[in-house]
Amino acid sequence: MTTTTVAAPTRGTSTSRWLRKNRGKLALAAFFAFVLFSGLFMMETNDWIITIIRGLAVGAITFLVASGLSLIFGLMDVLSLAHGELYMLGAYVGWTIYVRPDTFLDALTPIALVLSGMALLPLWRRIASMWTAGKWARIIAPILVGVAGLVIVVVLFPKFPMSMWNLDVYTEAPINNSVALDQGLQEVPPPADFDGVSPLVGIIGIWLGGALLGLGIAGGIERKAEVPASKPGVGAYTIAGGVALLALLIYVVNDPLTDWWYGLGTSPRFFFALVITVVLAFGLGSFIEVVFIRPLYDRLLYQLMMTLGLGFIIIELVRSVWGRPGFTMPKPAVFNGHGDACPGEGLGGMFSGCSTIKIFDSRVRMYNEVFIILVGILVLVTITLVIKRTRLGMIIRAGVQDSEMVEALGINVRRVFTITFGIGVALAALGGVIAAPAIGLNTGMGATVLLLALIAMAIGGLTSFPGAAVGAVIVGLLQQFMIKYGSIGIPVPWMDEPFKPSPVLVPASAILVMIVVLLVLPHGFFGREE
Amino acid sequence: MTEASPKRPNFLTRHGMLIFVVTLAILFPFIVGLIEGQSPATVIASEGGNSKFLMGLAVEVFILALFALSYDVLLGITGLLSFGHQMFFAVGAYGSGIMLKSLGWSLPLTLLGILVLAILQALLFGVVLPRVHGITFALVTLGIASMFWIVIQSPDVGDWTGGDVGLQGASSLVPAWINTNDHRFRFYLMALAVLVLFYLVFRRIVSSPTGAVMVANRENQDRALMLGYNTLWFKMFALVITSIAAAIAGMLWTMHQPIVTPTVAGLGWVVAALLMVLMGGIGTLTGAIIGAAMFRLLSFYLERWFGGGASLMLGVTYVLLVLFLPYGIVGTWRLKQARVSEGRKRLVALVTGKGG
Repeated sequence: MTTTTVAAPTRGTSTSRWLRKNRGKLALAAFFAFVLFSGLFMMETNDWIITIIRGLAVGAITFLVASGLSLIFGLMDVLSLAHGELYMLGAYVGWTIYVRPDTFLDALTPIALVLSGMALLPLWRRIASMWTAGKWARIIAPILVGVAGLVIVVVLFPKFPMSMWNLDVYTEAPINNSVALDQGLQEVPPPADFDGVSPLVGIIGIWLGGALLGLGIAGGIERKAEVPASKPGVGAYTIAGGVALLALLIYVVNDPLTDWWYGLGTSPRFFFALVITVVLAFGLGSFIEVVFIRPLYDRLLYQLMMTLGLGFIIIELVRSVWGRPGFTMPKPAVFNGHGDACPGEGLGGMFSGCSTIKIFDSRVRMYNEVFIILVGILVLVTITLVIKRTRLGMIIRAGVQDSEMVEALGINVRRVFTITFGIGVALAALGGVIAAPAIGLNTGMGATVLLLALIAMAIGGLTSFPGAAVGAVIVGLLQQFMIKYGSIGIPVPWMDEPFKPSPVLVPASAILVMIVVLLVLPHGFFGREE
Repeated sequence: MTEASPKRPNFLTRHGMLIFVVTLAILFPFIVGLIEGQSPATVIASEGGNSKFLMGLAVEVFILALFALSYDVLLGITGLLSFGHQMFFAVGAYGSGIMLKSLGWSLPLTLLGILVLAILQALLFGVVLPRVHGITFALVTLGIASMFWIVIQSPDVGDWTGGDVGLQGASSLVPAWINTNDHRFRFYLMALAVLVLFYLVFRRIVSSPTGAVMVANRENQDRALMLGYNTLWFKMFALVITSIAAAIAGMLWTMHQPIVTPTVAGLGWVVAALLMVLMGGIGTLTGAIIGAAMFRLLSFYLERWFGGGASLMLGVTYVLLVLFLPYGIVGTWRLKQARVSEGRKRLVALVTGKGG
C-alpha cells in the first residue's frame, strides 16, 4: 500500500542501490515518456492532445472501480468480482434518482422500512442466542424465519404506491423518460395509492417482514458465532428508529416533495443523484460485507464464487427492473450550455458555461472529459489524504501489512473491513453515476469496466492504492491511443500503407501489457515483494 | 490365500461403485426407451425420441465432467489456481474443428494434432509458471486465455473460426459410424468410455507417489521444496495431463455440437468448471463428475422452468452453495461418513439386539 520514499542518496553506492530498488518505476517512467512523445511524431498535435485527455477520462472511470478493488484486496485479501456489477447498479440507481425521483421516493418508503426492521440485528442476535434448541432446529428455524420474512416483503412490496416506468409500453420506457428530461418536457406523474391493502397493514407488515428477515440472518450468524452476542447499544435502536421515521416522513410528504423535486433544474438533481447513490452504495457495501463476505475470510475460492454469484444476481435484478435494452442519461444543464461565446477558450473557458471548450484547437467536451477527470483527481486526493492523515487510514495501512497484529492491538479490525468494503462499493457506484451520462447505461457495462480495473490493479501492484491510479491511467491511455491509431494508422518505414490496428486489438493491447508487466515484475509497478 | 494382504478388499468391493454407475449409465438409454415404449433396437439405432435427446444431454454431461475433472486435478490436487483453463478446452474444440473442416484431416490425424497442441499449450503456461504465483498466476493465465478468446472472435481469422458466430458444421464431418447424429448411442458409449478412462488414469496418478507430491505442493509448496522435490516439474506434469484431458473434452464437444461458439473460450467457461468442482467437492475427483452432472441438469431445468430468470436462480444457487455447503457434496459426505457408519452400526445393534 504505502510506497516508502527513499531518502535522497548521498553516496554513489546508494545511488545505484536506489536505481536498482526503483527500477520498476523508472522503467515505467521511461516507457510512459516514450509512448507519449513518440505519439507526437506520429499524429497531429491536436489529435495527440485529445487522445491523451480522453485516455485520462477512461482512466478516471477505471480508477474509481480499481481503487475500491485495490483497497479491499489490500486490506482483506478479497478479490470482489461483483465490483463491476456494483458499478453498473450504481449507474442505474443514479439514473432513477436523477430522471425519476418520484419512483425513487415511492420505493424509498418500503425499502427503508425493511432496512429498519433488519437494522435491529444486534437485538435479533441477542434473542437468537437466548433460544436454545437442538442442532437441526437451530439450522432450520432461522432459514424458515428468514424465508417467511422474505415472502412477506416480496408480497407486500408491489402493493405500495409506486409510479414507475413501464417496460412493456414503448412510450413509457426508461429511454423516453431520459429524452423527456433532456428536452424539458417531463411532467410530474400523478400520485399513486396503496394497492389492495390498507396503508397501516402495509407499513407495519413490511417492517415485520424486515424484522423476520433480520431474525433469520441473526439466527444463522449466531449458530456459527465465536463471540457471544453483546447487549444491543443505543446506536442500533437510534438507527432503526431513525430509518423508520424517515420512511414514514417520506410517505407523508411524498407528493409535495415529488413536486418540489421535479421543479428543480437538472444540475441540482444530478448532484442529489450523485450524493444519494454514494450513500446508498456505502450502506449496500457494508451489508454485503457483513452478510456474505465475513463468513468466508481466508477462503479465496469461495469468495470468488460468492462475489460472482452476487454479480449474476445483480445483473438479473437490473434486467428485470430496468429492462434489457440500454438507454441514455441526459447530461445536467451546467454542461449543456451553448451560444455565441462557445466553445470557451482554454482552461479558463471552463467557467463560461459552454458544453465544449477549446484547448490548443482541440474541442474538449466539458462533461465527458473535463468533469470526469476532475472527479477522478478529487477522489484520488481525498482517498490519499484519508489514508495518509486520518486514524482510519492509519488502521487501513497497518491492516494491509498485518491485520492479525492490528487486531491483537485491540482494534476492531472487522469494523474497519466493513467500512472499507462500503467505501469500495461507494467509489464504484460513484464511477457508475459519473460514467452513465457519458457512455449510457447497459447491463454489459459492468463486465467491461471490471476487466479494465483488474488489469489496472495488476499492472500497478494488487495491493497498492497509488498503483491502481497509475495502472488505470496506463490502461485508459493505451485504449484511446489504440483506437486513435486504428483510425489514422501508424506509419511504418518499411510498409507502404500505415499499419492500422484493428478494433479487436484495443482490449487485447491492455491484456498484453498486463501479461508482459506481470512476467517482468510479478508484483506490478508499486507492489511490495513478500 | 496367503497372509500377504488379508485385509485388502477384493476387486468387486474396490470397484463395485464404479462398475455399478457405469452399468447404470450404459443401461440408461434403454430404461428411457422402455418408459417411452421404444424397443432396444430402436434405441441402439438412435432413431430419435426422448432417449436420443437425453443421450445428447448425457453426452454433454460427460464432456463437462471430463473438463471439470481436469480442472479438479489442476486446482484441487495440485493447488494451481488457473483462470486460463477454458483455453485448454477451446484449443481442443476449435483446433479439432479447424483440422476437420478447413484442413480436411481424418479423425485419427485430428486426435494426434490435438494431443500435440495440448502439450504445446501446457508448455506455454509452463513458461509463466516459475515467475508468478497465486492470484498473479490466475491473472496471467486469464490474460493469455482472454487473448485467445479475442483472437478467435476477430474477423481476420473468420474464415477459420467463424468469428463471433462460431464454428459450424464440424460435427457432420465426423465419420458416420461414430457420428453423433447418425449413431448417437455409439457416440454416447465412446464419450462415457473416454470419461471413465480419464477418471481411472487420474485416480491412479493421484494415489501414486507423484500424486502425493502434487498434494504436498498444494498444502505447502515451501515444505515440499525443502524436502527436495522440484515442485516445478510436478506442476508442469499436472498442466500437461490436465491440458490433454481438457483438449480431448473440447474435441468431443466439437464432434457433438452443431456449432462451437466463442463462449467455450470465455471466462464463463472456467467459472462453470470452478462451480462444478466446488459443487461436487474440491479435490475429490468423483465430486467433479457429480458436480458437472448437477450443473448441467440444474441449468437445463432452470432454463426450462424459469426461462429468462434462470441465471438469477443460478446466482442464488452459487451463493447458497458457498454459504451452506462449503465442502461440496462429496466433501461433506466424506466428512459425515464416519458419523454415518457409526450410526449404522448402532442401528444394526438396535435391530439385532447385539452389542451394547
